[in-house]
Amino acid sequence: MTDAAITFAGFGLAHRRAGREETLLHGVDLALPTHGFYAFVGASGGGKSSVLRLLAGLVEPREPAPRVTGDLVVLGQSLANGFPAALRGDVAAILQDEGLLDERSPRANVELALRQADRSPLLAAGLLAVVGLDHAPDETARLSGGMRKRLAVARALASSPRLLLCDEPTAGLDPAGARTIAALLRQAHDQDRQRTTLVVTHDLPAFAGTLDGVLVLDRGRRTLRLEGPGYEPTAADTAAAPGDGPVAASEALHGVRTLLLQAAAFGESLLEAVRRLPPFELAETARATWRACVEPAPFVALGGGVLGGLATFFALQNNPLHGGMESALLTGTGKVALAVLVPLLAGFFFCARVVAGATARLGAMKRTNQIAALQMMGARPADLLLTPMVWAMAIGMPVATFAACVAASFAAMAAAAAASGTTAGGFVHPWLAALTGRDAVVVVGKAALSGLLVAVASWHLGIGPKRSSADVGEAVDRAIVAAMAIVLAVHAIVTFAEYA
Amino acid sequence: MHGLRYLLGLMTLLGAVLGALWLQRTLRNLDDRPGVPLQVEFREARGLRPGAVVRHRGVDVGAVRSVALSPDGDKAVVQVLLDPAAAANACVGSAFWIVTPRFGGLTDGLSGLDTLVRDAYVAFATPSPRGTPLPPGSLVAGRERPPVDVDDESLEPPAHGDLLMTLLAPENHGLRPGSRVVHRGVDVGDVRRIALATDGSHVEVALRIAREHRATVTDKALFWIARPQLSGALLSGFTVQDAASLLSPFVGYHAEPGQGSLAPDGFRVAAAPSRPDVELPPVPAAAVKAGKPTPAAPAPADGIVVVRVVYSAVERDTFTPDDEIQRAGNGLLYVDRSGRAVVITARSLVDASYTESDGYGAPEIADEQIKVVLPGGAVLRAGRVWVDADDSDLAALVLDSAPPDLVGTAADRLAFAVDLVAPQAPGVVRLVGPDGAPLAPIPLGSTTAQPEALGGVFVGDGKARGVVVADDRTAVGDGAASLASVVWLHRVPAELRPQGL
Repeated sequence: MTDAAITFAGFGLAHRRAGREETLLHGVDLALPTHGFYAFVGASGGGKSSVLRLLAGLVEPREPAPRVTGDLVVLGQSLANGFPAALRGDVAAILQDEGLLDERSPRANVELALRQADRSPLLAAGLLAVVGLDHAPDETARLSGGMRKRLAVARALASSPRLLLCDEPTAGLDPAGARTIAALLRQAHDQDRQRTTLVVTHDLPAFAGTLDGVLVLDRGRRTLRLEGPGYEPTAADTAAAPGDGPVAASEALHGVRTLLLQAAAFGESLLEAVRRLPPFELAETARATWRACVEPAPFVALGGGVLGGLATFFALQNNPLHGGMESALLTGTGKVALAVLVPLLAGFFFCARVVAGATARLGAMKRTNQIAALQMMGARPADLLLTPMVWAMAIGMPVATFAACVAASFAAMAAAAAASGTTAGGFVHPWLAALTGRDAVVVVGKAALSGLLVAVASWHLGIGPKRSSADVGEAVDRAIVAAMAIVLAVHAIVTFAEYA
Repeated sequence: MHGLRYLLGLMTLLGAVLGALWLQRTLRNLDDRPGVPLQVEFREARGLRPGAVVRHRGVDVGAVRSVALSPDGDKAVVQVLLDPAAAANACVGSAFWIVTPRFGGLTDGLSGLDTLVRDAYVAFATPSPRGTPLPPGSLVAGRERPPVDVDDESLEPPAHGDLLMTLLAPENHGLRPGSRVVHRGVDVGDVRRIALATDGSHVEVALRIAREHRATVTDKALFWIARPQLSGALLSGFTVQDAASLLSPFVGYHAEPGQGSLAPDGFRVAAAPSRPDVELPPVPAAAVKAGKPTPAAPAPADGIVVVRVVYSAVERDTFTPDDEIQRAGNGLLYVDRSGRAVVITARSLVDASYTESDGYGAPEIADEQIKVVLPGGAVLRAGRVWVDADDSDLAALVLDSAPPDLVGTAADRLAFAVDLVAPQAPGVVRLVGPDGAPLAPIPLGSTTAQPEALGGVFVGDGKARGVVVADDRTAVGDGAASLASVVWLHRVPAELRPQGL
């Protein structure tokens, strides 16, 4: 057993969807010897990618997992109770979307992986040279398709994994490029005597001469078998089994499972937000906070100014009573504007300005497997993405609110001068008369609390399952609605509890 | 595969349900704020709704939590919650009523008009002296209409120098707090309070006569409660006297100028059974000539005029509420060589910047007001014109708009010369009471620890020789003065002395 990298023992795999269940594999008994370089072939939709994600520990947590029967042992550890944390670092996967962090340079991508594997970041240059990227552009987003694959290889090698999984590494490349990548993978494989490599591919010719064996998914028999390096695909291997197809399963049960998993994900997001609140990635957190404080402030202040100015102008113009009545109006308007209305509007504006962008960014990262890549490196996506967001919004929202209140005050002063000729001195006293330090605390508290909750909601919706761009768009839509609902609810409850 | 996640999901859902329940309970109990709950029973709730405010002297001090029928259906029971700070104002004997718009007849007009545009509210009033505060949960009977027998909050508070006296009458004849007191057809005061005598033998009507008119009330004055009186005969025509009392009864009085002595505060007099049949004399010829009658503050027998000095100011504090400073004492009145009415008094009485100090040096004193109550009851404003730079706690005031007929201390009663001062000379300290009336002289030495003695005049050998001042000026600020010192008058500068001295 010890010389087997992957062992299937009575292994079965079934996809669950709403109302139906489809068995893909059944009763597989197979051991994949260590230090082999294997291709993994089979018909599309047969479950290759599912097996690969299972092996890499990337099962989507918010959807009912594929039904797994029997046992699957990776590097001596059973996956029966989930993916063991000890395997992170030992198993690396190069996914079809490489999951490169586009916001960082190629070198920083490799350095991050090295740091997560407790290795010196200085090794990055060597790894990049190995994959032929020593003169790569500084921006990951500008790499060509082939370069991205190479970079993904370099990053996967950073943790010197014992099991390297690749999902269609040659897809989208011309035959020459494909062969280069195949050779590179073999070369990387040979660097480490302990390493086992499993490559899901449809492009066996590209790997000709590099393989130690071919793992074949036999769709008809719903089983796996290991063939020699000279394997040629046969029609029998890709033909569906007689009577194949989904069987009915309880829709209600599926619904309950999905609901529970969604609730769990929600609870997990909340727990993560609390547990990962200390800014472990200080630089990232500080940068995000600074941006959240500076960038939305002018836009939010504009909104506050318009509201404060209009409210004051019409309050005074429609009640043309001078003297004490005017002061009373200003006093009332000031309190309502600065303690209730402007903070609420500032919260809305902040959400519109910041939450949509943050959720879209997270959704795109999820969609392009960047989140998965971080997970595989053993990095906590929460530390790199959630914590900065929480801090940024919990601090940025009060700052934006303050900016809005200041703008509202100045706009109201101008409006009061325009509507009834109030002087600056005559304006300031009544405008601020009814406000106390407690009001300031309440306003800041409302903004900070809603900022924190909005960040969690944005995170939660952003990292949900994303199969398509439409999913990303939908997550952004939901995040905006959820964020505004949160702002509204927090403001309503706190305002009611404080002033009712 | 997701076993743990299903558990976490279950717990999250459970937590969400519990959280929602908690939130709902919290919101429902939001009005369970600390406070003193009371139940007030009314025959009619008059549209009162939960959430309406409870007011005492026009200030919101609580809220109505619920309005419900009593178990027997005979009453409306209003649950109110008073703020803890204000709850002590609701005492045994407090009157609760519901304020809605009402028409009180021709005489009282409309009240509660503010409730036309806002909800009805509950008001309560507490008569003084106060009873014990109502314990939480008390059930009290509410009134159907605002009470008239508690001190009417719409009455002006009596000012310094106003005459407060009591009229005794066999019957009230419809007087109410706020009813007018009329002298020669002019409103000179008002009725403060009406109470039945303890033994029920008569009615006691408390009156206030404004200070500028108190000189018209003497012990010979005839008081009556005005009722319309019809006199005459069918052929000669009818005369209705005091017709104005048809709408609102009032108290009238008549006094002949120059007869009798002025009525002191607390003066009690019995009302005449009906309007006295007195013929008012024509306007004196002198008044036609002078254009002004000559009332006078009669000088006291020994010719030394002691006046009451009332001082108020505000000490502005940066971090705490401003402190109000109120002091009252005495002063010596005379007319100086340029004809100004001067009052010599203790500086610690009329200069808060002299007595107050805080940790930051000189405190900011604002809104200073000095008033001088003359023996006749008139109250005049005064300004500080001199303080003793040598720190002897002496100050001089000059009265604003002093009447030309003002009687001050005669110059020969004042001892400004040093050689006349005999520190051990026997003498007394003269003080005046709150209404300007002289108090009995007290021997020097017994004035210690009487803040009211500040500014009292030391009289020896028939002359005013000095003024009682504070030993320790900071102690005056603390309200615990030791006041045994007398400063002799010779410190007053020459230009403030009377002619010839």
